[in-house]
Amino acid sequence: MAVIRDVMPAFELFQPTSVEAAQAVLDRYGAGAWVLAGGLDSLDWLKDRIRRPQAVVDLGAIAELKGIRERDGGLEIGAMTTLTEVVRHPGVRERYAILLEAAEAAASPQIRNQATIGGNVSQDARCWYYRAGWPCYRAGGNICYADTPDAINREHAILGADRCVAVNPSDTAPALIVLDAQMVIRTAGGGERVVSAEDYFVGPGIDITRMTVLEPGALLTAIRLPRTWAGAQFYFEKIRDRQVWDFALVSVASAMTTSGSTIERIRIAVNGVAARPLRLRAVEAVAEGRPRNEATAVVAANLAVEGAQPLGFNAYKVPLMRNLVKRAIRGVEAAAWTS
Amino acid sequence: MDILTWGRNPWDQPVLTHISWNLLWAALFAGLAFLVAHASYMIFSAHRKRHAAETDAMEIARADLPDRIVRHSLPARLFHWLMAAAMFTLLITAFLPVVGLRFPWVTWHWIAGLTLTGSILFHIIHATVWLDFWSIWVGPRDLPELRAELLRDLGHDVPGPRPGKYPLGNRLYHLAIVVVALVAVVTGLCMMVRIRTPFFTRNPYLFSDTTWGVTYVDHGLAGVTLVGLVIAHVYFAARPEKWWITKAMILGWITRRQYLEHHDPDRWAVRQLPTPNSATPNSTTPNSGLASPTL
Amino acid sequence: MSLSRRNFIKGVIAGGAAASSAAYLFRGAGSLFGQTSAPGSVERLLSLTVNGQTRRVDVLKQETLAMTLRYKLGLTGTKIGCDRAECGACTVLIDDVPHYSCSVLTHTVRGRRIVTIEGLEGPGGVLHPVQQAVVDEQGFQCAFCLPGFVMAAVGALKTNPNPTREELAHAVSGNLCRCQDYDKILTSLLRGAEYMRRTT
Repeated sequence: MAVIRDVMPAFELFQPTSVEAAQAVLDRYGAGAWVLAGGLDSLDWLKDRIRRPQAVVDLGAIAELKGIRERDGGLEIGAMTTLTEVVRHPGVRERYAILLEAAEAAASPQIRNQATIGGNVSQDARCWYYRAGWPCYRAGGNICYADTPDAINREHAILGADRCVAVNPSDTAPALIVLDAQMVIRTAGGGERVVSAEDYFVGPGIDITRMTVLEPGALLTAIRLPRTWAGAQFYFEKIRDRQVWDFALVSVASAMTTSGSTIERIRIAVNGVAARPLRLRAVEAVAEGRPRNEATAVVAANLAVEGAQPLGFNAYKVPLMRNLVKRAIRGVEAAAWTS
Repeated sequence: MDILTWGRNPWDQPVLTHISWNLLWAALFAGLAFLVAHASYMIFSAHRKRHAAETDAMEIARADLPDRIVRHSLPARLFHWLMAAAMFTLLITAFLPVVGLRFPWVTWHWIAGLTLTGSILFHIIHATVWLDFWSIWVGPRDLPELRAELLRDLGHDVPGPRPGKYPLGNRLYHLAIVVVALVAVVTGLCMMVRIRTPFFTRNPYLFSDTTWGVTYVDHGLAGVTLVGLVIAHVYFAARPEKWWITKAMILGWITRRQYLEHHDPDRWAVRQLPTPNSATPNSTTPNSGLASPTL
Repeated sequence: MSLSRRNFIKGVIAGGAAASSAAYLFRGAGSLFGQTSAPGSVERLLSLTVNGQTRRVDVLKQETLAMTLRYKLGLTGTKIGCDRAECGACTVLIDDVPHYSCSVLTHTVRGRRIVTIEGLEGPGGVLHPVQQAVVDEQGFQCAFCLPGFVMAAVGALKTNPNPTREELAHAVSGNLCRCQDYDKILTSLLRGAEYMRRTT
């Protein structure tokens, strides 16, 4: 929808310096308020006139939301920390390299310099029917334009669709899920709520108009990386059409610890296949305690795509996801690609 | 207060999407307001009931009737409770997410909807073939009963007709539920084309945008109306003076005295059955004669 | 020719500055160009540090930095290609870090150092080494994307002054060239890195 018009329609702009002040503005404007982090998702909505908020609350001036701190032997990343800052942080590089890889895979250098990790996990679906302002389920209507016999749905979901077949576009989400990251939320009432990354995302069955558990007026303030998976063996891969800008067609992330050739513990998550990033619990259960070899990888990968329901143009995602899961268990060199 | 919710398509034309959920609150309020109004009326009213002496006399006169009179056969009761379960599932899955309790509801909703549809089809055939089809319907011939009931409610002792098998209120309620539930079922079946089911390929373009909008609005209107109707129904079922009817829907029978007190034996004639009916397994007096009225 | 063009641009900048200072006169009116302000929201008049100069400018709340630079400050070297963070033509440096100026609200960069392609030249109009390398290598065809590429490269060279061809390609991967001139562009930018190392 890249259509240049003059400037965006007018809105009030607030630049509070504390979370409390930001929430006061959100409360004052209610449904007319819009939270602005890096702006890469927001400004598209506003420029296209699909969303027309009365007031925009820029979180950029809130110091407590920025930076990466040590916490309980792990790290706490402020929600307004840019992806570039995450990529360059030595603690992330040493202990949580998978998050570095995932953040580095997002968009383009300039976008990573500006986009925040909080915005990356909270961004909206990129289904173009939805983005173009069609009155679909996600927009509060009663129709999915992407799941019809003749819809253009090459990038859409193969799993977990409930009326809406959009996928979650976040690159860091699967990495955060395998790291068992804890999302720190300031609720609209001012309380603190911590949910695991896995539960931070909601599918359309639960709430078709939202991507995350963030209620109106609530803010994601920080992401905590616990010690649990620090320094584990990681695997991250993102498949996309162009190596820059594009969102994942399918991405996979895994963290595992092995003793000898046996998989001791493993966590594995995929994105780009459902409206929320999926943690593959069944795959984890099957892989744990088994040798890390082709046979285990094949069993796990076949299990991963069980129940997949491709749409008109995205059946390729089934073998893609299956092979990525295989690689996430065996590593890219060892795993044989099967179509 | 908005009654309808509109979306806008990319050409900025208004598209009807569904009813405004304000109507849910309106229906809840209306249902509860009726409940309160009726309950307070019943406390203060001078509702005219048949004198006990009058009923005693009738019971002596009709001693030929059995102690227990079958009111609802087992299939009829099974249908009623299956339908009730489906209806509650439908209302819960439809409206809890609207009021903020979120869970994956769509699959439960359509399965319950198909259950309801199936039970309704069974009921139509059962009622047409095996039951007295016309006993539940209202028509001009019920005007004298309406007049008599109204006068009794105002405290007059009127000789006019008493109800047949179903009191007038029952029949009016049935009529309302037939209209509303059929609207909900027919629109709901159409809407299944828009979601993923194992039965057919999803096709949101089956109807035009306007027709779909009307379908969704009708489904929503029927849904919120059902909220009000179900509140009223549960309320009446729970009222002490109606408890004998509710009990009949569970056990199947009413006593001879209840039959004579509340019904017009000419309009709901009981015919003697030669053998005991297994529809009353809880019968504590196995030797008492059983009668099956013309159902 | 180039001198008169520069003078022309300076004239436009002065005009823009006059327009924005004229706005001071109407501060008490509460409404500037029809936009009213809610209590607690940002002040429309702000100071921007652009290319080493402090510029007072009247900025709409919904205005992007690319719009302010081009149409309020007359710095038309910054191009707007897609206006959606998808092409890189509008790349500028904010505190030495490359950003898409089309996707930054001007009010969010108050107090930060902005450098555009116009700010690269040294005293007396000496071209920046990367600019000079682009001229020497004839790196671009139509050159609409040039300012974006140069700014992205200059920003990347600040953190990695000695990049490999691959590293530099990665650093400017957020810029598109419609002429598909990437090979020549990379060669010229690498030459620019070399010039920079030589000058410092």
